[in-house]
Amino acid sequence: MGFRSHRLEPLALFRILLSCSIAALLPFIAALTSLAAPSDDSYLKQLIEEATVARLAEQREWHVLLHYQKNLFGSGFTSMQDDPGFFMAPTGKTDPQAELAATLGQFFSDEIVGRSKQPAQCAFVARYHWLKEKMHFDDRRLPPQPCERFTRWFNEFNAQSISVIFPTGFMNNPASMFGHTFLRIDAKGQTPQTRILDYTINYAAEVPPHAGPEYAIKGVFGGYPGHFSTIPYYLKVQEYRDIENRDIWEYRLDLTQEQVRRLLMHAWELGNAYFDYFFFDENCSFHILSLIEAAEPSIHLIDHFPFYAIPVDTVRLLAESGLVAEVVSRPSRSTLVRRKREAMKEEERVWLNRLVADPEALKSERFRSLSLERQAFVLEAASDYLLMRGSGAPEEGAPFREKNKSILAARSRLKVPPTDIPIEPYVKRPDLGHGTSRVGIGAGWRNDRAFEEINMRAAYHDLLDPEYGYTPDAQIEVMSLAVRHYHNESQARLERFTPLNMISLAPMDSLFQAPSWKLGLGMNTIVQGGCQLCTNGYFTGGLGGAVESRVLGRQVWYAMAEVEGDASKAYEENYRIGGGGTVGLLADITDRWKLLATGSYLRFALGDKSEDIRWSIGQRYSLMRNLAFRVEYNHRSHDNDVLATLQMYF
Amino acid sequence: MIKRVLVLSVAALFAFQAGFALAAATGNPDTGPGCGLGKLAWQNYPHQKTIGVQVMEATTNGTFGSGTFGISSGTSGCTNDGQVWASEKANVFAAINFDNLAQDMAQGHGEHLTSLATLMGIPADQQPAFFAMTQERYASFVKAGESSPGAMIKALNDAVATHPTLAKVSLNK
Repeated sequence: MGFRSHRLEPLALFRILLSCSIAALLPFIAALTSLAAPSDDSYLKQLIEEATVARLAEQREWHVLLHYQKNLFGSGFTSMQDDPGFFMAPTGKTDPQAELAATLGQFFSDEIVGRSKQPAQCAFVARYHWLKEKMHFDDRRLPPQPCERFTRWFNEFNAQSISVIFPTGFMNNPASMFGHTFLRIDAKGQTPQTRILDYTINYAAEVPPHAGPEYAIKGVFGGYPGHFSTIPYYLKVQEYRDIENRDIWEYRLDLTQEQVRRLLMHAWELGNAYFDYFFFDENCSFHILSLIEAAEPSIHLIDHFPFYAIPVDTVRLLAESGLVAEVVSRPSRSTLVRRKREAMKEEERVWLNRLVADPEALKSERFRSLSLERQAFVLEAASDYLLMRGSGAPEEGAPFREKNKSILAARSRLKVPPTDIPIEPYVKRPDLGHGTSRVGIGAGWRNDRAFEEINMRAAYHDLLDPEYGYTPDAQIEVMSLAVRHYHNESQARLERFTPLNMISLAPMDSLFQAPSWKLGLGMNTIVQGGCQLCTNGYFTGGLGGAVESRVLGRQVWYAMAEVEGDASKAYEENYRIGGGGTVGLLADITDRWKLLATGSYLRFALGDKSEDIRWSIGQRYSLMRNLAFRVEYNHRSHDNDVLATLQMYF
Repeated sequence: MIKRVLVLSVAALFAFQAGFALAAATGNPDTGPGCGLGKLAWQNYPHQKTIGVQVMEATTNGTFGSGTFGISSGTSGCTNDGQVWASEKANVFAAINFDNLAQDMAQGHGEHLTSLATLMGIPADQQPAFFAMTQERYASFVKAGESSPGAMIKALNDAVATHPTLAKVSLNK
C-alpha cells in the first residue's frame, strides 16, 4: 500500500481555497447570518461561555466527531472532512473552538443545513447529543427538533450489534488485492440464515462511470470523493462471494447498545458529507475505524495507521484491542465447490465432472443408482459450479446458466434435505496471519564474497511466507528493499529494490482453469561480464498454468512463458530485452516448512544479445506466527548467491 | 514505531510507484440504482445482464447512475435516506437474488429462501412447510421468476394462500 501525501497546513488551506466554489460558500454565509440572529441570544452566549470554560472543543469526543487530526507540523488541527457543508463555522475545518461555537448557535435554528438538508440538530445528531449530555441543555430555551427522518432511518436498522465484514483479497483486481472492509448493522432477531437481510455501511470512492486511466492516479491521491452508503448485505454477499469468489470473514464487535447508537448517529452525520478518498491511507478501512471511534471515543484506532491502512491490519487491531466478540466465515462459491468436491468419493467426482459438462448424464441409470442423498449432493455441487461460471459473465455465462436450470429441476425432484458438511474457508482467519510488514537480517556468500544483509518489506506476503490468513499461492510484495555489506567493500550497497512483485498461481483441474501469472519490476545487483556488482533495473511479466499434487502434503507445480527487460551499464548498449520460461515447485513439507524451487531459461534478442540460465531453491521454516527462518540459494550464469535470514513480521 | 521508521525510509521511493497500484481507490463506486443497490455489479461487470439485473431496472424505474447514493440521498425504489421501501423489500430481494433463490428452492433449503420467507412474513415455525412447497412447485415458481420477480412473489403468495397449513398464517403482503 502507499503513503499519503501529507496534508501540510498550507497545502490544506490551499485545497480548501481551491474547492471553495460559490456554492460551497453558501453554508458559511447561512451559518453566519443565523449566528447573527439566534432565537435566544443570551442562552447561546451562556452555552458558548460554559463550553469554553469546560474546554469542550479540546475534548477527544469533539475531535472524533469532527475528524480533527493534529497537524503534522506546528500546532493546531485540521479535519479530514472535505465537504464544507460538514462545518458550521467558516473556519470549522481548522478551528475546533470556532466550530463548536457555531454549532451551538446553529442548534437554535431550524434552518436547513448541509447536503442532507435538515436542521443542524438533526443533520449533526451525534454532535447535538454529545453536547446536550455534556452541557445539560435546557429544552425550554433550546427546544429539541423532532428529527423524524433520522428516527425513521435509525429504527429501520433495528440494530442489535455491529460487525466488521472483511472480503478477503482478490488478485485479479488491483483495487481489491488487499481486501476491503465495511460494517454490517446486525438487526435484532436475525438468525445466521437471515443475516443477509441486514444493512451495511460501506465507504467507497465515487468514480465517474467512464473514468479512464486517470482513475489509478486520482484514486491513489484523493482525486475522488468517498461517500458512505447503506447497501443491503445480500448485495455485498453477491458481489464478493458469488461474483468475485472471495471468502468473507465477519467480525462481530463487542459494543453496547449505547455504543451502537453513537456509531449510527455519527454515520448519519457522515451521510452528509464526503472525504477525499486515498487508496492507501484514507481508504475504506481507515474510515470504518473512525466510525468505530465514534462509537467509543476513548478507543484510539486510526492513530495506528499514519501512512497506510491495509484492511487486514485494521481487523487485526480490532481483534487485539478486545473489540471482537465473534468471528464467522462465509465461504465463496468457489470454496463451496472445492470443499464439496473434497467430500466426494472418486465416483461422485466423475459424476460431478460429467454433469457440469452435460446435464443429460443425470438420466443415466448408474447415476440414479447412487443414494438419493448422494445424488442430491452431487447435483448441489454441480449447481454451485455452474452458478460460479455463470455469474458476472453475460454471454460466456449463458450456457452455464442454461445447464444449471436442468440440474436444479432434477434436484427439486429429490425430496431429501441437503447434506450439511463443514465448509472450511479457503483463506483462513485473516487476523491470525503473519503481520503485513517484514524485516529480515541475515548473512551469506555471493561467489567468494561474504556479506551481511538487512531487508525490509512494507507489504504484504510472498509465496514462501506462512500462508495462514492469506490467499494461498498468491504473492503481493510492495516496496521491498535489501541492503548488503560485502566484506571486501568499504560501503554498504542497495542490493535489491522491488516496488512491486506479484505472482498468482491458480492450480488447474477439471473444474478450475484460471491462468497463473506474474508481474514484477525493480532493481537488483548483477554479475555480468567484467562488472562484479552492477546495478540493474528490470521489468518482468509471465503467463502460464499450474497444477496441484498431494503427496505427503501439498505441492503446486507451475510453468510460465515470460518476457524480461533489463537496463544496466553492464550490458552492451546498456540494455537487453528477451523472453523465455520458468518452471517452479511450491511445496509444503510440513506445516511450518515450505520450499520453493524454480528454474528459468531466458534468451535476449534485443540489446545485449545473451542468454541466461537461472535456478533457485528457497526454504522457510516458521518459528512463531511472526518469526521465520529462511535459506535461499540463487544461481545465475557465473553467479552463486546463498543467503540465510531471520524474518520478523509486524 | 518500527513500522513508522521503515515506512518513512521507503516513502520517498514509493511516491513514483503509487500510481502503479492502478485501479485503486474504489473497488466500489456507488452508482447503482436506489440505496446503492446493484451498484458494483454493473460497474465492474459492464456486460452483466442477469435476470435479476433486468428486473432491477424495471422495479427502480431504470434510474441507474443518477447521482450519488449516500446515506442521505434518495432515489426511486428507496426512501430518501437510502433504505429500501418496506413494500418493495421482497420484490427487490427476489430481483437481486433470483439465482440463489432458485437454487435454494430446488433443494428446499438455504439462507436466501429463509430470508425471503422472513420478508414475506412467514413465521419461523411455518417455514419448513413453505420450503417444502417451493421445492414441490419449483418449476412453476422459477418460470414466474423468469418473467419478473414481482410475478414470482405473487405466485408464492398465491400458493401460500391456498396451502392447507400455510394459508392459516397471516402474511404481510
